[in-house]
Amino acid sequence: MLLCSVQKRPVYLDYNATSPIHPEIKNLLPEWAGIWGNPSSIHSHGREAKRILREARQAFADLIGAHPMELIFTSGGSEANNTVIQGLLRSELAHTRKHIISTRLEHPSVLRTLEFAESQGFQVSYLTIQRDGKIDLEEYKNLLSENTLLVTVMAANNETGHIFPISKLSALAKKVGALFHSDAVQTMGRMAFNVDTTGVDFASFSGHKFYALKGVGVLYTRRGNSLPNLILGGGQERGRRAGTENLLAIASLGYMAKKLAVCDLHRDTMIVLRDHFEARMLEEIPGVAITGREGKRLPNTSSLVIEGVSGESLLMSLDVKGYSVSTGAACSSGNPEPSHVLLAMGLSESEAQGSLRVSLGWLTTTEEVNGLVDTLKPIVSHLRALSEKKLAEACV
Amino acid sequence: MSLPVNTPPEKKGRVLVAMSGGVDSSAAAALLVEQGYDVIGVTMQVWDYSSCSIEEGLGTCCSSSDVDDARSVADTLGIPFYVINCEEEFKEKVIDPFVSEYMKGRTPLPCVNCNTYLKFDHLIEKMEELQCDYLATGHYARIDQNQIVTSTDDWKDQTYFLFTIPAFIIPKLLFPIGDMKKPDVRIYAEQRNLVVARKKDSTGICFVGDKGYDQFIQTNYPDSPFTKGVIKQFPTGEVLANHNGIHHFTYGQRKGLGFSSEHPMYVVKVDAETGDVWVGEETHLFRNAMIVERCQWHSAPQPGQVLRVKIRYAHKGGMAHLRVQDDGRYLVEFEEPQRAITPGQAAVVYDGDRLLGGGWIL
Repeated sequence: MLLCSVQKRPVYLDYNATSPIHPEIKNLLPEWAGIWGNPSSIHSHGREAKRILREARQAFADLIGAHPMELIFTSGGSEANNTVIQGLLRSELAHTRKHIISTRLEHPSVLRTLEFAESQGFQVSYLTIQRDGKIDLEEYKNLLSENTLLVTVMAANNETGHIFPISKLSALAKKVGALFHSDAVQTMGRMAFNVDTTGVDFASFSGHKFYALKGVGVLYTRRGNSLPNLILGGGQERGRRAGTENLLAIASLGYMAKKLAVCDLHRDTMIVLRDHFEARMLEEIPGVAITGREGKRLPNTSSLVIEGVSGESLLMSLDVKGYSVSTGAACSSGNPEPSHVLLAMGLSESEAQGSLRVSLGWLTTTEEVNGLVDTLKPIVSHLRALSEKKLAEACV
Repeated sequence: MSLPVNTPPEKKGRVLVAMSGGVDSSAAAALLVEQGYDVIGVTMQVWDYSSCSIEEGLGTCCSSSDVDDARSVADTLGIPFYVINCEEEFKEKVIDPFVSEYMKGRTPLPCVNCNTYLKFDHLIEKMEELQCDYLATGHYARIDQNQIVTSTDDWKDQTYFLFTIPAFIIPKLLFPIGDMKKPDVRIYAEQRNLVVARKKDSTGICFVGDKGYDQFIQTNYPDSPFTKGVIKQFPTGEVLANHNGIHHFTYGQRKGLGFSSEHPMYVVKVDAETGDVWVGEETHLFRNAMIVERCQWHSAPQPGQVLRVKIRYAHKGGMAHLRVQDDGRYLVEFEEPQRAITPGQAAVVYDGDRLLGGGWIL
């Protein structure tokens, strides 16, 4: 008995947290579920399963311009990030190179692993990121040296949507012989990512960010780079990642890879809707700022700071009214500390507390976006009135 | 011929219910849903459990497994549910004062501060933010004509912890289980298939855990000014033993005094200035009068009134006269001597079953 609020289905505007499963995949799942053999088995059941793996691998390799043998299926983005960073810490190259460059805007699966690296005697430098999402290339050049083992910079940020100049950064890294990794989880379904044009040595992807099932990710590793295993065991993934493969999820990832290769990613629609949303927010609600609006951003992401209200309160009030948005990264909600991303970009703690992230997807409609603004307006006035009342009481 | 009219269910308003993950607040939420309110559940996360071992988190109110239980109950009831992080506020308003009270030789009552500064302040704010009409909790207490009165279950009555609630918010409060007795609450929870129906009652202080409060203080506040001293016999002043800090002692305590004696000995006084802990026979624990400070009243005691005063949660209350003094404190004179009147605890005053207010024992 859901009395509270919502008669119709809640509106989903949090695609950077995860995306719904593509409707075509929903229809195909029963068929895929009929193929349940262990891909490592040599009999017909195994071969049939192995075919799914091979086709998915080929499709994703085609999508990012890689060779299929350069891909490792993982459980998701976090595992891919851990595999690269932890692996390189134990690689031969790490005997002579003890320095890593990254940003404070990375996903926790990168940041926590870099903390681990520091505990193992590596030095980690974090690049300064401006409010408009720009990286200071001079600072970066000065940090790079013969001692640099790895540069790991995300391709696009999950909270603000800022896109970082990966090809420039990787070319500079190459000059000093450092390896380059990019967490490209937020690119798929929003922008193209090609391993040759970006020049990365490693890149991480996650299926559930682009309409495939949860529980599958891809790590791209450029041929010739050796990487010690994170998970030891059987010979799956040519001995590079042990564990029986998540066949169903891999099939869905392969299916989406084929789709992404031929569709326009709904890019223009998302940009139009996002810009319309931002224009209305700026026009109709006073005290709204959009973080790094002038920077280069993903087509679907809008990060707002709404003066005088907390993101947590906004989130709950919107949820009660049937709108699913986020204050920042999904992993940190439930523990609403100010967003580490916004703080790292130079926003104040109170700005970061009042942040709201709206991320659109292929299924988003004009009605949904307009509905969000219409719902948000009275909520913001209500919350502001309350905090003004509280302030007035405190002064008495 | 008139057609029967289909009346829609009466719209009773929106309620924010504070859910601890225990059986009482879970049943309270279920009752509200059943009564036709539009219900939103909320849990305050008050302590960072990531630093606790898993075992430590079990068995007390509001540990992390309790958050899961509250969430599961909310799912069963089909209501929205949020966890609000109150760790910082809880530390500042509840735990820090808790520790400093022990350092002053007093025995703190953190649950009242939690109610004052979090439940009936922070959550009232949340209630307004979410445009709710009421805030509900699973306290054993009732509201009658905008006054707080004791619950139907005398044994469980929790009005003792509610004396600081400002009068103006009482019209916004609901205590759904205040008319019920504990066994009936459990039966009701069982009928509603709530996972917490048979959960053990929380005992003790939620953030302290099984190892005891003194261990908690030593682990989390290692730099506290622990006042060491000696244990003295009352009234002779004979030194019986040394002790490692006055925070290990509370009035009326008999166990863990660190020495043996022929007769049972009790802590009768803790002197924070000198570090002396006085112990004596039980008769020395009884007192006729006490001073109560920082009083808050829903309705102030009138001269000549004989009122029931509780000096700790599990105390049945003693009849007393209260007289306001020039400094605003109250002199409370009991008709019968009371055992172990303990500084730092609350003195809560009732007229019959009506909560009048209370203050802090000096």
